[in-house]
Amino acid sequence: MKKQGLLFSLLVMALLVMGACTTVPQAAAPAAGEEAAAPAADAANAPAAEEGGKLTAIKAAGKIVVGTSADYPPYESIDENGNFVGFDMDLIRAIAEKLGVEVEIQDMPFDSLIAAVQEGKIDAVIAAMQATAERDEQVDFTITYRGTKDAFVAAGDSTLVIEKPEDAAGKSIGAQTGTVQEGWIQEFLVDAGLTAADQVFSYERADQAALDVANGRIELLLMDAEPSLALAEETGLKILLITELTAEGGKSIAIPEGAADLKAELDRIIQELLDDGTVLKIQEANGLP
Amino acid sequence: MEFLQDLITTLNFIIQGLWVTIGVTVVALAVGLAFGVVMGMLRVYGNPLLRQLATLYSVLVRAVPVIVIIFILYFVIARFVNLSPFLAGSLALGFASGAYQTEIFRGAFQSVPSGQMVAARAIGMSQRQAIQSIILPQAARLALPGWGNEATLVLKDSTLVFVVGVPEILRRAQQVSARTLEPFVAYAAALLLYLVLTLLTTQVLQWLERRYRLQM
Repeated sequence: MKKQGLLFSLLVMALLVMGACTTVPQAAAPAAGEEAAAPAADAANAPAAEEGGKLTAIKAAGKIVVGTSADYPPYESIDENGNFVGFDMDLIRAIAEKLGVEVEIQDMPFDSLIAAVQEGKIDAVIAAMQATAERDEQVDFTITYRGTKDAFVAAGDSTLVIEKPEDAAGKSIGAQTGTVQEGWIQEFLVDAGLTAADQVFSYERADQAALDVANGRIELLLMDAEPSLALAEETGLKILLITELTAEGGKSIAIPEGAADLKAELDRIIQELLDDGTVLKIQEANGLP
Repeated sequence: MEFLQDLITTLNFIIQGLWVTIGVTVVALAVGLAFGVVMGMLRVYGNPLLRQLATLYSVLVRAVPVIVIIFILYFVIARFVNLSPFLAGSLALGFASGAYQTEIFRGAFQSVPSGQMVAARAIGMSQRQAIQSIILPQAARLALPGWGNEATLVLKDSTLVFVVGVPEILRRAQQVSARTLEPFVAYAAALLLYLVLTLLTTQVLQWLERRYRLQM
């Protein structure tokens, strides 16, 4: 019994120590300062990279495991029957068809996606994710499959006038946690001293933020322009401004760092789908402008 | 009336997460029970080193939010073995619950009068035999009420495993809410399911408590 206890304790200790040393900074802070550690860890724990690279591994497995955060219509959501639907979902299926593999879609919180692709739990992320410089330090991105615009959203009876992004200064404003929009608010409103830090609110999901706008708890919501159209229509909100100025990079597929063969192949396929009009078709099918 | 209809449609969708929630809870409780009994025992009867280790486990794990433990363990475990999110999430939740169960069992072990151990040793039992046949059965009964409380807590903490991508009841409610933009219907459906699950758990535990009550 004592031997057993010792084993248990050692296991506990080992896990705690490893957890403390390696994973916390990488997982919790996708910020600068961890770049040196991340690629080394990637190389150590990406078994696929050992022989022939990620693409070979995916082809050998016959399927690509793709992470998304299925609460962002019209890009990704789940219909009544439990199927993944939306622009991103149709696109990844078209890509997989060209790759000649099956798609397995894994629903995760948006915040967990980067960590999951770094740790090799998923092969790629398609979640209307913008290829920002900060994220690019953690993972690699394919070419852009769709440009991005942001929208400032306010309550239906709001009298605010937003003609340029900086007009949002001093207003209480919300965004989805971990998104480019949240980063923009932090950098250009809070750090610039235009808006007090306690005027900024982060939400796990955009529809929660929309509820708070409708209830008058916050004045503005900064989010991706396209999903905001449906959201505004259904919840009676008003779109004040659609702009490219707050957006950074277009929407891309995130893949593990250093998976050069996979990136080359995905880039080629995405370009092909853009050129032959498949992307346009998918976009119309999902009601995107 | 429309609310009721929406609620039923939503329930139909969310209920597919029911087995995930039940599965996560059962695995986590079982793993936590193993950790809890062993660590609780070590905290009371272990030698100084083991006692320290068990204390360290209990204090450290209880100091960290469960969601952080799940996140860390999932990605640490992932480096060595390729566990499914379901299994990794449940094990991590069990590891966290084990720390709380350690304290439940420590209390139970300490509540068995010390005369029991003295008497068992006096008739020639080894310490191990005494714990196994005299102390543990009595401690288990004493631990039941506290353990029942922990069981309902783990049931609700099972919502946290979604951080590693396990689609349990609450996540399914979120998916509905994102699609229909009617959060109240979605969360009301989730609430109903959790209520039913908690009531069932409580009933089973009450039955266990009655079954093993001291007959005076």
